[in-house]
Amino acid sequence: MTEATDRPHVIKDAKGKRPQFYEQPGIDQLMSMVMVLAGEVCMLRDRMDAQERVAKAHGIDLAAGIEALALDEAALQAREAYRQDFLDRLFYLARKEANEAKAEESDESYRATIADIAVN
Amino acid sequence: MLNCFQQAHHDMLPRPTHDEASRQEFAKSLKGFIQSGLLPGLAPVYQTRAARGFEREEGRPPADRRDIRKAMVGDPYFKLYASINRIAQELLWESTNLSVERELPELIERAKALSAASKAQLVIPEGFVPPRYVTALDIHCMPGGYASEVCEDDVSVGVLYDRGVFLYSMGYGGPHNDDMGRSVCNYIKRNRPDFAPRRILDMGCTVGHSTLPYKEYFPEAEVWGIDVGGPCIRYAHARAAALGHEVNFAQMNAEETSFPDGHFDLVVSHILLHETSGKAMPRIFKEAYRLLSPGGLMIHADLPPFDLMDPFTQFILDNETWYNNEPFWGAMRDMDQIALSEAAGFPKGEARFTTAPMAIMEFMGAGYDAEATESVADREFTAGEYAPGGGWEVLIAQKPVDLAAAA
Repeated sequence: MTEATDRPHVIKDAKGKRPQFYEQPGIDQLMSMVMVLAGEVCMLRDRMDAQERVAKAHGIDLAAGIEALALDEAALQAREAYRQDFLDRLFYLARKEANEAKAEESDESYRATIADIAVN
Repeated sequence: MLNCFQQAHHDMLPRPTHDEASRQEFAKSLKGFIQSGLLPGLAPVYQTRAARGFEREEGRPPADRRDIRKAMVGDPYFKLYASINRIAQELLWESTNLSVERELPELIERAKALSAASKAQLVIPEGFVPPRYVTALDIHCMPGGYASEVCEDDVSVGVLYDRGVFLYSMGYGGPHNDDMGRSVCNYIKRNRPDFAPRRILDMGCTVGHSTLPYKEYFPEAEVWGIDVGGPCIRYAHARAAALGHEVNFAQMNAEETSFPDGHFDLVVSHILLHETSGKAMPRIFKEAYRLLSPGGLMIHADLPPFDLMDPFTQFILDNETWYNNEPFWGAMRDMDQIALSEAAGFPKGEARFTTAPMAIMEFMGAGYDAEATESVADREFTAGEYAPGGGWEVLIAQKPVDLAAAA
């Protein structure tokens, strides 16, 4: 193995203007991000499948164990806490918007702050 | 039958990690889904709303592929199809490059060792300049194109092409991605059983996918692959050695090679012509004629010309021109290849299109069971697919045995 710093890097982007498929700016980027994330979901699913298969090869029927698993109160609590935390992060912009409304923040108040900080 | 085709490993391919392999499989699966899940929706969308919209605005129905494009380009379903298709193309290169980047120095060392151990020639001339039609854009959105080098003795785009094209073609080209070459060889063997070429030239061979079958089917022949991409040629030579074949490779332009007149009995190309240009293509036909010995055969295998298909299929295929960095894809299909052959010197009425049946039935390996390969060979041609069902359209022309009599 060559030292990491000396190693060459492949070219990552193709030369040639990329067409814009959607009129609204940003949608093309959003679509590509969604598909990259979809790919990662599939990759993780493959990895879990690999775990079950490797375990099985070692005599542990992980898949059947997972199906038979009865969640106790602590496990139910932990999972529900994770889901609520995840949803909170997923909808962080909604939380932000609600807080802005509560605090009556606006573009005007933001610009006023910039103007104010510049001189005070 | 699900497509579980797997590429056969050889020493010049990286060993992807579990996650890299999974991401590459996702890109291939996404392409498969686009074909089976999104592409079929284009026809009803066109018939029930896009064509009617066009007729309302223009006062006449769409007449050709340009009209159909005009009708479809603003349709939300078409936008989804076209954008996801583009993203799938980007993801297949991106996911493949993960493995290339991780193993590049080791791959370069392996290429050097394999090439050094081969008796076949590897010719990379000093100061060779690839033509503009392969450097102006990175064709089919492959980062770096065919000719970019990121370090000394670089093979990176060769590796990228070998793995990426397997994913692009969804494995329909077989475990070694060599179905086109194999099918043309089969065709020659069946139709010309006595043909025994002494020297064979594969023009625009890239990494030699289609070149190697010629050595397999004609082991006595001296086989040459030429391409304008230096890293591809370097990689092709090492890949051939890794697969146990002694095939010569040279960085050369098919428009103007350095071989003498009449040097080859067989001059072939596979998916080369649509990546050249309006000026280069006639020159390539002329060069093929010059290089052929009397009685020699020229065979070009590419996708069918537009006049062999309906306007809607033309429109689907032409999306490659607009969305996949394939500047000559559409224009090439409008070229009169019979006339080009005659202008190059082949006698009138000699050049013709014919079908070389797909050799995929002969493949065996991971995912290539009999039922899966039969379903590939038997299916109908579907626009937008890499490999048409049944066979490859090939242009074939023979140089007269008696040149004086033909003149």
